Amino acid sequence: MLHIYKYRLKCIIRDKQMVFWSLLFPIILAVLFNLAFSNLSKSENFKEIRIAVAENDELRGNPQFTEALNSVPDLFDVIYTSKADAEKLLEEDDIRGYIYFDQGPKLVVKRSGINQSILKAFLDDYVQTGSTIERIMEKNPAALQGGLIDSVSERNSYLREISHGKAEPDTVVNYFYALIAMACLYGSFSGLKEVTALQGNLSFQGARVNVTPVNKARMIAASIGAAVTYQLFVITSHILFLVFVIKVDFGNQMFYIALACLVSSVTGVTYGTFISSVNRKSEGVKIGILIGTSMIMSFLSGMMFDKMKYIINSKLPILGYLNPANLITDAFYSLYYYDTHTRFFTNIGLLCGYIAFFGAVTYLSLRRQKYASI
Amino acid sequence: MVIKVENLVKRYDGLIALDHFSLEVREGEIFGLLGPNGSGKTTAINCILSLLKYDKGTIEVYGRPMTPDAYDIKRNIGIIMQNVALFDELTVYENIDYFCGLYIPDRKKRKELVEEAIDFVELNKFRNFLPKKLSGGLLRRLNIACGIAHKPSLIILDEPTVAVDPQSRKKILEGIKELNKNGATVVYTSHYMEEVEEICTRIAIMDKGKVIALGTKDELKGMIHSGEKVTIEIFDYSSNILEEVRSIPHIITAEYTDNLLVARFSKGKNNLGVLLDYLRSRQIETGRIYSEPPTLNDVFLEITGKELRDYAKGVQ
Repeated sequence: MLHIYKYRLKCIIRDKQMVFWSLLFPIILAVLFNLAFSNLSKSENFKEIRIAVAENDELRGNPQFTEALNSVPDLFDVIYTSKADAEKLLEEDDIRGYIYFDQGPKLVVKRSGINQSILKAFLDDYVQTGSTIERIMEKNPAALQGGLIDSVSERNSYLREISHGKAEPDTVVNYFYALIAMACLYGSFSGLKEVTALQGNLSFQGARVNVTPVNKARMIAASIGAAVTYQLFVITSHILFLVFVIKVDFGNQMFYIALACLVSSVTGVTYGTFISSVNRKSEGVKIGILIGTSMIMSFLSGMMFDKMKYIINSKLPILGYLNPANLITDAFYSLYYYDTHTRFFTNIGLLCGYIAFFGAVTYLSLRRQKYASI
Repeated sequence: MVIKVENLVKRYDGLIALDHFSLEVREGEIFGLLGPNGSGKTTAINCILSLLKYDKGTIEVYGRPMTPDAYDIKRNIGIIMQNVALFDELTVYENIDYFCGLYIPDRKKRKELVEEAIDFVELNKFRNFLPKKLSGGLLRRLNIACGIAHKPSLIILDEPTVAVDPQSRKKILEGIKELNKNGATVVYTSHYMEEVEEICTRIAIMDKGKVIALGTKDELKGMIHSGEKVTIEIFDYSSNILEEVRSIPHIITAEYTDNLLVARFSKGKNNLGVLLDYLRSRQIETGRIYSEPPTLNDVFLEITGKELRDYAKGVQ
């Protein structure tokens, strides 16, 4: 059995096409993802909105306004200047808008956009707060005692981003986890190769192997063992590359990561043996099926579009459970994000179910030792 | 009896591939299965090896029913398939070692056997080459080495010389004779009658899934009415000669083309002498003269009405 395992492993490692698609291609994709997402992260960082405030006597008579602007230092980058200069800066797109006082604050913007909306929301809030305080002063001056003004003018955010787990939510890591899922499913190529080399009706080598005095179950075990060994090496290489080169955070639960790698690798290999053993199409067609389904499953788990995973989970959750790529992605994400292992083990359990199904179908197909035609 | 097949029937979607096919192979012989492509030779071999399901019949190898898990029987069989069955990623040495290892677990013994096999097929210079670097003839020799390295007592070769250069073909045929001399029983299938005639001690001629004739090459030739084929170079030909030649006793057919008179005789004594006497009596000058005994092609032609040679040409 060791003899078969050794030579099957040699055959897999020396298959240049296989090594490219299973090992190098996901690494190339990871580098490209990294280039693309580093820009995406930068674009997600909020940049202060550059505005101008036209200085005049009315502004100087409203120190509360300057105070309100200073209370949100991370929101605006303010230039105090004349109205004419502010107009010029706006014209030259140096600022998003400017505020001047003429019987109350007035806003001038050149075009609409998110920054302009924020600026308008801030000004509306200031005007509304001023108006509220004026009305209270008119109707019930006594109410102003006891810090009501502070309470009214305080800008509170009543919505707070909270984390369910130990890490901050990060959509970018999900892209890389989905990439690992794709690489795991690409392990199906080695599964396909092994079944082809075993089956008398699929290859001449298979026919020759079938007339030797070797028990078929031992042959299958040694061949699939070789494919899983190779796939484990591939996935370990990917994870090391992502951790040390791309700097993707996997958390620090090495045992669980290793378990996820093992289960995912076996899922990928047995998926290949399953596809290979259940149909008698040519090897090219089977490779096409494996590439196509792997890409679709990876897409649905968020590899090309991170929101897809959440769309599936919210609109059609059953599809998420039926998709091995999603289960692999989710297993890694749950290790990164959640404090508990409930979700991780749910994913691993479902993947084990897939392994049992793929493995059983493969065994039932391969154990047949006589063929109707060759 | 090494192989005994009785009344084997195999159908493919209504098409009958083996039609009550029966066969007995005796220990120590080189048994030839001769027939055109599609006659059922490879199907018969695959059934004997328990690779193919069959509809009816019995197969025994070494006196026991042949089944997929008859590992004791399989241990004694070496198979060289029609198509080259090697792993492209393994070198010449590794391919032989891999297949030999499926029969011989002992590493030391296996090493000796692999070295012997490499020497036998004369691939020593190429031991570290990958199969894609080998010519067609060398590939066939490697294919043979993978099938015989474990020293089987029964060797089945299914068309091992297809698309092989004459030099490699000669080496392969000599090798098969040597394996047989060393004690192996050989089953050899081919559509090349010259090869089968050259090496086989007994021959079964197949057509449409049936054995249509069985015996030694002399027994097979003895079954038909055709005798020798005589070819004589004639330069001063006149048309009435042909008519007179055709009337000579025992002549079945006579044709004249490109200065060659070709006459086929039925069995009889001194056929060539009678024809030459006639030509001398008419003072016809002759050039080169050839006389060929009947071939297996003549046997096939007489039994089926078709040329075995035409089939072979058609598929090459």
